[in-house]
Amino acid sequence: MLKQYPTLRYVLQKGFWYFLTFIVAIAINFALPRLGENNPVDIVMGKAAQGLSPEEAMQKKETLLKAFGMAELDDQGKVIYDTIPEVDANGKAVLDENSKQKMVPQPRLSSGISQFFVYVKNVFHGDFGLSYSQYPKPVIEIIKESLPWTLLIQAPTIILGWIFGNLLGAFAAYKRGIFDKVFFPVAMFLNGIPYFVFGMLLVALFSVTLGWFPAMNAYGMDVIPGFNWAFFKSVGYFYVLPFFSCFPILLSGQATGMRSMAIYELGTDYMKYAKWLGLREGKIISYVFRNAMLPQLTGLAQSLGAMVGGALITEMIFSYPGLGMAMLTAIQQNDYATIQGCTLMISTCVLLANFLVDILIAVFDPRVKAGLQMGGK
Amino acid sequence: MSDVVLEVDHLSLHYLSRFGEKFHAVRDVSFTVSKGEVLGIAGESGCGKSTLVSGLMGMCIPPLHVTSGDVRINGESLMNRSVEDVRANVLAQKISMIPQGAFNTLNPVRKIKDSAADVFYAHQKAGQRLSRAEINDRIFDRFDELGMETKRILNSYPIQLTAGERQRSVIGISTLLNPEIVIADEPTSALDVSTQKEVITMIFDLLNKGIFSSMIFITHELPLLYHVADDIAIMYKGQFVERGTSEQIVKNPQHDYTKMLMKAMVRCDYVK
Amino acid sequence: MIKLLKNLMKSPMFVVGIAIFILSLLIAIFGPVFYNVDINARDIVAGPYAPSSSEHLLGTDHLGRDYVSLLIAGLRSSLYVGLIAGIIATTIGVFIGLFGGFRGGWIDEVLNMGTNLFIVIPQFVILVLISSAVKEGRSLTLIGLIIGLTSWSWSARSVRAQASSLRSRDHIALAKMNGDGNLKILIKHVLPYLLSYVFMVFIMQVSSGILSEASISMIGLGPLDSTSLGIILNQAKDNGALSDSIWIAFLPATLVITLTVFALYLINTSMEGVFNPRLRK
Repeated sequence: MLKQYPTLRYVLQKGFWYFLTFIVAIAINFALPRLGENNPVDIVMGKAAQGLSPEEAMQKKETLLKAFGMAELDDQGKVIYDTIPEVDANGKAVLDENSKQKMVPQPRLSSGISQFFVYVKNVFHGDFGLSYSQYPKPVIEIIKESLPWTLLIQAPTIILGWIFGNLLGAFAAYKRGIFDKVFFPVAMFLNGIPYFVFGMLLVALFSVTLGWFPAMNAYGMDVIPGFNWAFFKSVGYFYVLPFFSCFPILLSGQATGMRSMAIYELGTDYMKYAKWLGLREGKIISYVFRNAMLPQLTGLAQSLGAMVGGALITEMIFSYPGLGMAMLTAIQQNDYATIQGCTLMISTCVLLANFLVDILIAVFDPRVKAGLQMGGK
Repeated sequence: MSDVVLEVDHLSLHYLSRFGEKFHAVRDVSFTVSKGEVLGIAGESGCGKSTLVSGLMGMCIPPLHVTSGDVRINGESLMNRSVEDVRANVLAQKISMIPQGAFNTLNPVRKIKDSAADVFYAHQKAGQRLSRAEINDRIFDRFDELGMETKRILNSYPIQLTAGERQRSVIGISTLLNPEIVIADEPTSALDVSTQKEVITMIFDLLNKGIFSSMIFITHELPLLYHVADDIAIMYKGQFVERGTSEQIVKNPQHDYTKMLMKAMVRCDYVK
Repeated sequence: MIKLLKNLMKSPMFVVGIAIFILSLLIAIFGPVFYNVDINARDIVAGPYAPSSSEHLLGTDHLGRDYVSLLIAGLRSSLYVGLIAGIIATTIGVFIGLFGGFRGGWIDEVLNMGTNLFIVIPQFVILVLISSAVKEGRSLTLIGLIIGLTSWSWSARSVRAQASSLRSRDHIALAKMNGDGNLKILIKHVLPYLLSYVFMVFIMQVSSGILSEASISMIGLGPLDSTSLGIILNQAKDNGALSDSIWIAFLPATLVITLTVFALYLINTSMEGVFNPRLRK
């Protein structure tokens, strides 16, 4: 039945693939922190247990185990306890007053697989656990607060960088000459610079030396966040440096890619043939641009991960209150749940963006509509 | 000789490198092609064939320059005219070209009928514009006339067609505007033998139907030329070294280079 | 080989790139011989953020440590990480790409799917997760290892494209008809054609390794046993060099990273110019 709707079939296929990838991303997010010898609860407990009585500590541990989906629960949803021999810090058995092995209750841990399923279930319910450093704030709250800022920085830089980079690259390929000779080396130099390094250079010049723009935060101390003009103005003013520490590099990356794609397209047999047929130059250029745009879209899909990673670190340079900054704070405070929540959120966003690009490819590549080519990837 | 279609008069062409060096690709070539005539041009790659084609179509775009000489179609000179003038009034209408049957001659993201319609749009004159429906009618009629599976082929993307179908579509598109003369530049070199024959048959079908009246057929395969061309010219290092009827050239070559070319052929009397 | 090198030397991009890179290698290796100041020694007399003097060419950092020797040590670590990551990522990428691209069939499908997974899931995320999981043992070598293990997907992808285009070539069909084993064909007939390409991939992997280390150190998950350029930047940032306008604390380090990466980039681009026409033929 789907044969009649090739575009739909393509989108569904892609969607299914991204769903699988999402599951893998969750698995990675779940498994990597457990690679170390400690489980997340033990990491958190190390600090959390300080100054607590043994009962309180056990209570805390139970809450944490439940929160992390790591405890085996009985029918009533209560943690099952095993009685095990107590050991001291050196791993030697602790004896009670009768010189017999001392037994203590210990929560029973569920198996890795069932922990994973609980984790997946929680994730799909938007439950990323509780932040440890801002206990008992749910991680999802932290993400909700910081995600908009990250989107504010990343979406415009990536979209505008892509559009203007492609226009610039096509123009350079078409014009060649002086413009191209100046443009190309500059773009190449910019390509080699990581965002955060470029950001630091901008700070050194425009903030430290010239004092034109603030180097920190997303808005001034003197405005109240909310729906008011002063706040927007302040946000715009603080936006300039973070934006321009990503935008030019993104732009030049896209432009050099487009330039070589367009030069390639200009030399293809079909463009030559179009010239022989006497097609107008404007028409030929529009074909070149359109054809070169498709691999550029695929290229965008592939480099999204790197772009997003780079921009997250830029946030940290400017203490911009997005996901990158939230993650940095969490890293500094060993807040494992928050780190995990942020990384999963980032993966999710990148996957969604990729999916979006693949749909765009389906829209712009007529061959997908004809059920001919799977576009992308 | 009153019905001369193409007249090439002491044409010399050169490339100008970035450092101002001149490279002479075509030297002092003169010939005529009359109505109904098929002229074959043979020569190995790099002998200046492709450059000559650019010159014949009036497309001398830097770094290619005209050293001297003239090209006239129906007595109308192509030299010293603007690129736009040549594009709008000469290409595809007076002189058209059938390129190599390579994989990539047609834009991969456009359907055949759209690529064909582009030719009409490119040569619309003010006051006599055709609607898309009229254009489509013409394209469909022409492809019907050529005995193609019109509907399927025109609604396909190049990738959906066989090499032969693609090349036949290219021929159909090149001759849509009934040009006076067609230059076929190795039109069969990238095809397998059975498809080659199909394509050759189609080209001559068009010629016999009077869709175009004369042709220049360029190839490095002398045996093929022997069968398709009335006259053959041998090109070597940018010059015409010999011109004669097919019989003369093949049976009784005069120039050393032609003799060498003939020797290189395994046999020249293969079946038409 | 010598002819190739001659061709490369004609490209000014290559000459500049290789000159900068060799210079940075020399500084990293022999720098301490000529400029020997202990990076752990805190100059209490000069104090933190001391200005440039005959004793400290570029002054000192927030702890009073000599900045030039920190830079040299940082450059050394960055190059070391870059090389380790580059070697690992290139090896994995070339192996997976070559094998999948050459074999085709379902093995290729599976390998390609795995590669695509790692292209889509941001490397940065995986780096953060692993680096924050291994706390105590986070050494420079381990960081290089992790970067190498997470950055191969890009190489695998491009090598696969090259290998599968080679698969249909005549000389390989001939070797197959001769009954040569797959491994033998790969090593004897495929790899030599891709050697220049693999080298270019390696260069890009080294530069991306250097950047990844700088990024991960920048967010405080860098190696604990050495100073790297990323750590210098991280400390400069954490100690308020950015907000307090102490540009000397971060500008030289940023320039060193940029120049090193740019040099690798130049080498790669110029090699592409020389090799690509050959590859296309």
